[in-house]
Amino acid sequence: MSKPNPRRARPLSFYFLAAILSAFLLFLYAPMACVYILSFQGPTGGMSFPMQGWSTHWFQVLFSGDGQGVGDIGNAFRRSIRLAFVVAILTMAISLSAGMAYRRKFRGSNFVFYSAITSMVLPGIFVGFGIALMFNLLGWRTNWFTSGIGAQLTWTLPFGLLIMFIVLGRFNPSYEEAATDLGASARQRFTQVIVPIILPGIIGIAMAGLTSSYEETARTSLNIGTGNTMPMEVTGLLTAASTPVLFAIGTITTLFSFTLVIVSLIVMSRLAKRRQMRTAA
Amino acid sequence: MTDATTTPSYKYKSASAKTGLSRRALLKTGAAAAAASALPAPMLWAQNIKDITITHIGQSYSTIPQIAEKANEDLDFEVVMQTAPDTTTHVNRLLTQPDTVDVTDMPNTNMKYFLGRGVLMPVPVSAYKYWDQTLSLFVDGTYPDGTAASLEGYAPIKSQYWKDESAQEFSLTPTDYLVGVPMYYNADTLGIRPDLIGRPIDSWGELLNPEFAGKVALQDGVSTGIADAAMALEALGEVTYVDKGNMTKAEIDATIEKLIEYKKAGQFRSFWSNFDQSVQLMASGEVELQSMWSPAVTEVRTRGIECTYQGMKEGYRGWYIMMSAMNHLEGLKRDCAIEYMNWVNAGWAGAFISRQGFYNSVPDNAKEFMTADEYGYWYEGKAAQGDILNPFGKVMEKAGATRDGGALWDRMGNIGIWNTLMDEDRYLVRQWQDFLSA
Amino acid sequence: MPAAQSAAPPHQRQVLSPKVASWLQVAPMAVIFTLMVLIPLAIIFVVSFLDYDFAQVFPELYLGSWVDLFTSQLTLNLYALTFKFVAIVWVVTFVLGFCIAYFLSFHVRSGALRLLLMAAIAIPFWTSGPIRMVSWVPLLGREGLINQALMGLHLTSEPVTWLMYSEFAVLVAYINLLTMPMVAAMANSMAKIPHSVIQAAKDAGASEGQIIRDIIFPLIKPGIAIGSIFVVTAVMGDVFIVKQMSGSQVNTVGMSIVTELNAFMYPPAAAKSIVLLVIVLSIVGLLLRFADIRKELQK
Repeated sequence: MSKPNPRRARPLSFYFLAAILSAFLLFLYAPMACVYILSFQGPTGGMSFPMQGWSTHWFQVLFSGDGQGVGDIGNAFRRSIRLAFVVAILTMAISLSAGMAYRRKFRGSNFVFYSAITSMVLPGIFVGFGIALMFNLLGWRTNWFTSGIGAQLTWTLPFGLLIMFIVLGRFNPSYEEAATDLGASARQRFTQVIVPIILPGIIGIAMAGLTSSYEETARTSLNIGTGNTMPMEVTGLLTAASTPVLFAIGTITTLFSFTLVIVSLIVMSRLAKRRQMRTAA
Repeated sequence: MTDATTTPSYKYKSASAKTGLSRRALLKTGAAAAAASALPAPMLWAQNIKDITITHIGQSYSTIPQIAEKANEDLDFEVVMQTAPDTTTHVNRLLTQPDTVDVTDMPNTNMKYFLGRGVLMPVPVSAYKYWDQTLSLFVDGTYPDGTAASLEGYAPIKSQYWKDESAQEFSLTPTDYLVGVPMYYNADTLGIRPDLIGRPIDSWGELLNPEFAGKVALQDGVSTGIADAAMALEALGEVTYVDKGNMTKAEIDATIEKLIEYKKAGQFRSFWSNFDQSVQLMASGEVELQSMWSPAVTEVRTRGIECTYQGMKEGYRGWYIMMSAMNHLEGLKRDCAIEYMNWVNAGWAGAFISRQGFYNSVPDNAKEFMTADEYGYWYEGKAAQGDILNPFGKVMEKAGATRDGGALWDRMGNIGIWNTLMDEDRYLVRQWQDFLSA
Repeated sequence: MPAAQSAAPPHQRQVLSPKVASWLQVAPMAVIFTLMVLIPLAIIFVVSFLDYDFAQVFPELYLGSWVDLFTSQLTLNLYALTFKFVAIVWVVTFVLGFCIAYFLSFHVRSGALRLLLMAAIAIPFWTSGPIRMVSWVPLLGREGLINQALMGLHLTSEPVTWLMYSEFAVLVAYINLLTMPMVAAMANSMAKIPHSVIQAAKDAGASEGQIIRDIIFPLIKPGIAIGSIFVVTAVMGDVFIVKQMSGSQVNTVGMSIVTELNAFMYPPAAAKSIVLLVIVLSIVGLLLRFADIRKELQK
């Protein structure tokens, strides 16, 4: 790809669009800023302004995991993270595989695509209820590993598939053709040409899977068995308490996401550099 | 009754560890009604129940890790708790997966969903140790002075007893089978920001006063929202009801029609659906007047914002949580579930829940585990001598404070309506949507 | 990774036809959707024709749920509001999303900065919905930051109340959430356009507007379609944002279904869900007619 000359003068539209982007980022982060600030609420403070002093009290409560009327939040957090990682990996693998299928015409492609849209649109409570009912009719017991993961996948897979469409839509088949001409096998084409190019997208699917799993309640709550996930515990907790622990979680999540994004950016640019060096050699 | 049940510091575990005899004595009442499996030697018993786990799913006020910890300390079997995230999940879980739950505590208004389902176990009165110490409000639906309590709405007595052991229909008069063991209850009223209103508020009708247009909130959800609104409409004389807790179709129509008028005039700021929202609405100045829960009012006050919660002349809106066991339980596990239900009202847990601002159904037991000052403040309407702490050690009220509305019977004795689930629920839910759409 | 295994290892190349390979690749997803979505959907469909009361569904034919759905004013009100939300949110996120995607793709010259800005746009997306919702009140509420600013600048003497617990508030939250997928989908399509093409058009004297209209738009149609699918399905299926931001005072199709489910009235909720589903699937079908995103993937 040819790079435009960096020293060329900026057109007027640049400043206009830059202003729009800045305004949008402000709009995006304004409520987030409230979350970050309120997470440092003093021990007696609540979930809205005014601040009752500043402290890291709510982070300590989150990590100590018990007491202070925050329910079973520590365990719920661990359960959710475990579930989210499994769901993220499954979402990534299944969506990647399905996305590859759509690079050819095949009968049934409409069926799977519209099933995905159906899964996105049906009210979550209903999907969850239906799954629980089905397990009950079949005499199976719900637990996080079967019905829980299954219910969450109905939420994460449609996003995974759509992201695969976005990612593969950008993929330029000429790379692959070049590889074929050079005698690469299908496996080599997949692991050495396709995957490295669409890796950011694949990571994006995993991230989307991780966060949508972590947030999901409507489908999960009836199918997880005994032991709440984080959002379930939080919802339950909010019926009895008002605690800035939630905001502490929000701050941690953001830090975690930022770290994850930055680390994967660094890894990807390293990989790209190494590949460049290899091809140069 | 053994001495253990009335001594505050007793521990089941230490009792059984010392002598098998005291354990057997302890179990006598609980096991008498149960199967013969409870009869073998006490040591064996203790061995067997070690592997038993009782799963308790319930409200966020009663499924708290500290309570589970104490239960596991006192009892020989294991107790696992899960907080139900919401009523929908809770009821659907019990109905579609009853085997995954052993005991559950929930509002009595849910009980109608379990009629004829065979999901809940009839609890024999004889198996519950504290029935004779339980308030008459639950035992036979009367106040301590013998007068009948309000039956408007879903009064506790309406789903307290099963007609017979088949557990298919409720009975309004006492029988030998309980739908559940009474746990906790309270009387709700309007939370008020006196600093913003500046005059006394003494009627539910004020909820609909145009003076507070856009500064009023109702509780979301059909059954509570409509109960609050009905209190207000009746107080203003705009709609008359035979039983506002169980309206006819015509009464529902009239109520919804009026509410749509008020909504269109911008009377309501918001409907809240959880504790935190109600606190935020009040503390952030969004709302000056709204239907609230007692602990939420306390929470607002602990942030240094004035908020009062006194009774209205039309009375309070009462609610009631009971604990039921599931019908799939049998043998030792059934005994353990009953044992656990007895433990819940033996005092320690009752005191714990009382410190959150609710009343226990066996106040005598809870009293044993509270200081005189605590009991005086929460139950007797007395001024606090020292700081009043919540169960987690946070200061709720300073010395000198008295509970809004006064003592237990000043509040519970003046119920205008109980939380409700009307016979015409299907029609109401349909009309309520027109209200939300308007 | 299952994808790698099913992507036809070399020695099986002759045995596995492309069609079979595709089926194997899509099988895990198809199985999960069939088991976990379509079977429950079939149950939902049957339930919509049954009679009900107090969390119970009776095995008796009852068409009342459907009759009410097709004859009541409520249905019209619900869909009018839902479509209004969809239309406004779609227009705003499209314009905003396009501007941002275009800016990132064609104006930002440093690749690292572009990635960083994309990440900045995406990160709030990863904060839990309930937490994000709670944080609007300190901002838009009666005593929120915006009202304090407005009153501080003497633009109003009384707090503006329609900022929160209103249709406006619902729209703000939707736009806040759904601009990101629009940006991502369109930026991805734009990345496929070689800069040399744009440069050639510029050299030939085309204005920026002409380039956008004649070159970029036709080429990013698939991105627009995918972004739109995200936005339309999210708004039409949403219950959470509308409830939180309107203070339960606004009734959309999704809200109505949830109100019924919360009252354990499955049949009318089922009928409403099925109609909603048919409508959304039709919209998605139309969008695919505008740009077949799947054709883009095929060699």
